Amino acid sequence: MKINALKLPLLAMLVLPFLSCEKDDDNGPDNEQELITTIALKFTGGGQTVTFSAVDKDGDGGSAPVIQDVVLKPNTDYTLSVSFLDESKTPSEDITTEVKAESNDHLVCFAVTGSMVSPQTSDKDTAGKTLGLESAFKTGAAGTGTLKVTLKHEADKSNANACGTGETDAEAIFNVKVQ
Amino acid sequence: MLQKDFIFVLALSKRMEKRWTSFWAVLWLGLGLSTQLLGQDCNLSLRGQVLNADTGLPMPYAGIIIKETQQGVQSDEHGHYQIERICPGEYTIVCSHLGCDHAEQKLALQRNAVLDIAMKENAVTLENLVVTGSSNKKAGTQTSSELSGVELDAGRGMGLGESLKRLSGVSTLNTGATISKPVIQGLHSNRILIFNNGVRLEGQQWGNEHAPEVDPFTAERITVVKGAASVRYGADALGGIILLEPKPVRQTPGIGGEAHLQGYSNGHGGIASGMLEGRLAKLPLSGRIQGTLKRAGNLQTPNYYLNNTGVSESNFSWSGKFQPEHWVVETFYSRFFTQLGILRDSHIGNLTDLNNAIERGRPLQDGAFSYDLGRPLQKVMHETFRVKLAHALSETDKLSLQVSRQFNRRQEYDAHRRFNPLPETLDDPSIEFEITTWAAELNWDHRLGRNWRGALGTNAQSQVNTVDRGALIPNFDNFDWGLYWTERRFKYGSPWEYEFGLRYDLRHLHVAEQGTNNLDEDRNFQNWSASLGLVYALNEDWKLRFNTGSAWRSPLVNELYSNGVHHGSASYEAGNPDLRAERGFNNSLTLEGSRNNRWMMALTGYYNLINNFIYLQPRSEAQLTIRGAFPAFDYNQADARIMGIDWTGDFSLYKTLHLESKASLLSGWNRELEDFLIYMPPLRFEQGLKWGFNEKKQADHPSFVRIAALWVLQQKQAPATDYAPPPAGFVRLDAELFHTLMWGRQRLEFGISVSNLLNTEYREYLNRFRYFTAEPGRNLSLRIKVPFNFT
Repeated sequence: MKINALKLPLLAMLVLPFLSCEKDDDNGPDNEQELITTIALKFTGGGQTVTFSAVDKDGDGGSAPVIQDVVLKPNTDYTLSVSFLDESKTPSEDITTEVKAESNDHLVCFAVTGSMVSPQTSDKDTAGKTLGLESAFKTGAAGTGTLKVTLKHEADKSNANACGTGETDAEAIFNVKVQ
Repeated sequence: MLQKDFIFVLALSKRMEKRWTSFWAVLWLGLGLSTQLLGQDCNLSLRGQVLNADTGLPMPYAGIIIKETQQGVQSDEHGHYQIERICPGEYTIVCSHLGCDHAEQKLALQRNAVLDIAMKENAVTLENLVVTGSSNKKAGTQTSSELSGVELDAGRGMGLGESLKRLSGVSTLNTGATISKPVIQGLHSNRILIFNNGVRLEGQQWGNEHAPEVDPFTAERITVVKGAASVRYGADALGGIILLEPKPVRQTPGIGGEAHLQGYSNGHGGIASGMLEGRLAKLPLSGRIQGTLKRAGNLQTPNYYLNNTGVSESNFSWSGKFQPEHWVVETFYSRFFTQLGILRDSHIGNLTDLNNAIERGRPLQDGAFSYDLGRPLQKVMHETFRVKLAHALSETDKLSLQVSRQFNRRQEYDAHRRFNPLPETLDDPSIEFEITTWAAELNWDHRLGRNWRGALGTNAQSQVNTVDRGALIPNFDNFDWGLYWTERRFKYGSPWEYEFGLRYDLRHLHVAEQGTNNLDEDRNFQNWSASLGLVYALNEDWKLRFNTGSAWRSPLVNELYSNGVHHGSASYEAGNPDLRAERGFNNSLTLEGSRNNRWMMALTGYYNLINNFIYLQPRSEAQLTIRGAFPAFDYNQADARIMGIDWTGDFSLYKTLHLESKASLLSGWNRELEDFLIYMPPLRFEQGLKWGFNEKKQADHPSFVRIAALWVLQQKQAPATDYAPPPAGFVRLDAELFHTLMWGRQRLEFGISVSNLLNTEYREYLNRFRYFTAEPGRNLSLRIKVPFNFT
């Protein structure tokens, strides 16, 4: 190779870097967070519909979530439907539609303590496996306990302990009073 | 270096001889004429050490040649050389080194002789020192260790952190198998400074899962300086400094370069890296382009695959250098881009998920091999651009100005996309940080009197960070200014060497929006750093080093203002805006010994106090969110103490069979809580046997076989606040073969290494994913390096 042929590219190297720096494509901060702020439980049965919610509008940190006490009648068959909302913006956004749209990736789990029986899920995802947005909840005699509602993402639904897998998207523990 | 290259250097030196006759080297005809007479047989040997006449430091890779017989060797990394099978007679010994005037000495050789050669630096090529200020400083009086040549080639495919693990006292803080950060004597992240080609790396080093954004293939030599006292480089380096230095630019006309190909069995990874450089004959102008491509898929532990642990990396850099007499103009540009898959099972929602995952202790599924990179994912781009101008004021004084710009973009993709994404935002990251850094440095390297050498300089840096997504840290900008002065006294022949340094820094930090909050706060920090170093040569073989110093570090924006959940670690972190600066007091004492190729050892003890050490203190109550409870941590500060011992040794057992030994022992203590510091490396102890062969044919690149065993004990000195107790200790076996072949006139370097030879399942305490998975299993790697040269 002729050495002089090198001269141009070498000179170009001295100059080129000036032209090639990547620009910060910043268009001002986009700190908007889309998240679940609210878990709402709608109980229908005994001739009435009651709604309770767990709300944390300011996201992680700041003030703790406000969780309402669930008050139900004894010995009643309820249907329970769970919904998830983003109320950090107006109008608030219903994230339940997305959970339904990606039903295979989502699972609503329940865990109870005290004098009650865990809700029996009634809906299925598109693969025919449990989803949990809709369930049947039967109250017994008067008493108290807790109901933990968890929305899981990418849980392994074929696992015997499916609710022990996956990533938690939303979770709240409600105090339940049957009176 | 190539034998061919060596001749070039020689030719170059001859040309320079005319120009720089007044600075020719000083030669010593040493001592050892007392060895036995060997008659007329051609089995005499000549040995000695090549030293820098100004600094007294050993000069590695100098060419030593007997003019009459053309017998030649290159000095090793400690400057030692040995020429064998010389017939008695009168000879001219020529010694040459890039950057030095060449030296000639007539010698009548009748018996084995020792010849120490002191070389004088050449003012024109000394600009390499001007740039990084490193060559004389880094070795200085401080304890440092260096990775270059075959050892660097063998490790650098695994990234910076993993390659530095070969040095004693250096470990890594890992996040899974793909993210690895160097830890020096127990400290990491922003307590370590990384200099890539003279530019202080300014990325997002604050995060434990933010790996350094450098391509180790750009470096020919990586030096780790331990301890706080490196005032030349900046205030924040409480733990130490890592210097990555590229190969010096070509000094002879023509084109050359090197090509690397590496393959790994675990993860089916491949790396291709190449470098091409050229220099003109008529104009002192040289240039280089370099690039690296890396691709790997899911890694495998002895019992299962790790889903989504692939890596894709593409880096390139170029540089140009123009060197008219007494001047140097240099530009350098590099772009680093990596995409790192993160183990899917490590992304968890809350404390319950974390406990479930820890209870399992392994991924939910066995996984399978795939090159696919899914979520969670990190994409990191880092760009560096530098212009340097240096001028030799005289043969000993140099003035240099460097201006650099860095741009870093870090995008993190959580496992879960946002809810209800707009179609155009479907592939948007969950978190995005962008930081732009401009820096300038003016430095004057000088000599005072005969024996003092030093540097005086100032640097300024301006930084803007925007958080485009997420609100974990606020937007901020900061301005730093520093002034430093170091002097070092070295007199050839005197057993004493001294060094001191002073530094003053100030930092202004302005924080703006964090999420929807406008903080609009200003913080100012300013303080002194100082260092003192002493070296005493007990005799020819033994040296004592003592270093003491004090440095400080201002709290970082994440420590001051963090607010949010870290998904990878399922923890809620809250900053503390009232944090004060950390102040470290370092003391270290090193005993070093070496003799030719027979043995070398270094034993360092250190005792470091850090006042106002910033750490994460677990809260007694979990942070409740709409996703459930998260363990919560507050940034807090307390006085801490870190002390330990680093050991490294290399002993010839029988001929070329060497025992290599390394150990590091460390203890970290929170003096206020009277508890251990978290994430301190446990005792590591490595023993290896290395057998060298083919040393006659390839004196510069001798072949070797090595087998090494690594013992790591369980960390008993850990606080009880961890999610899970430290993992059990383990023993791991590694093996390596290196061989150099000549294919015609072309040299080929081959390496085969097997890490975790026995496919042992183990966990490292310093891996943040040890809760979820074991370390990767056996990994067989093949590599080939082809240096080439056309004139």
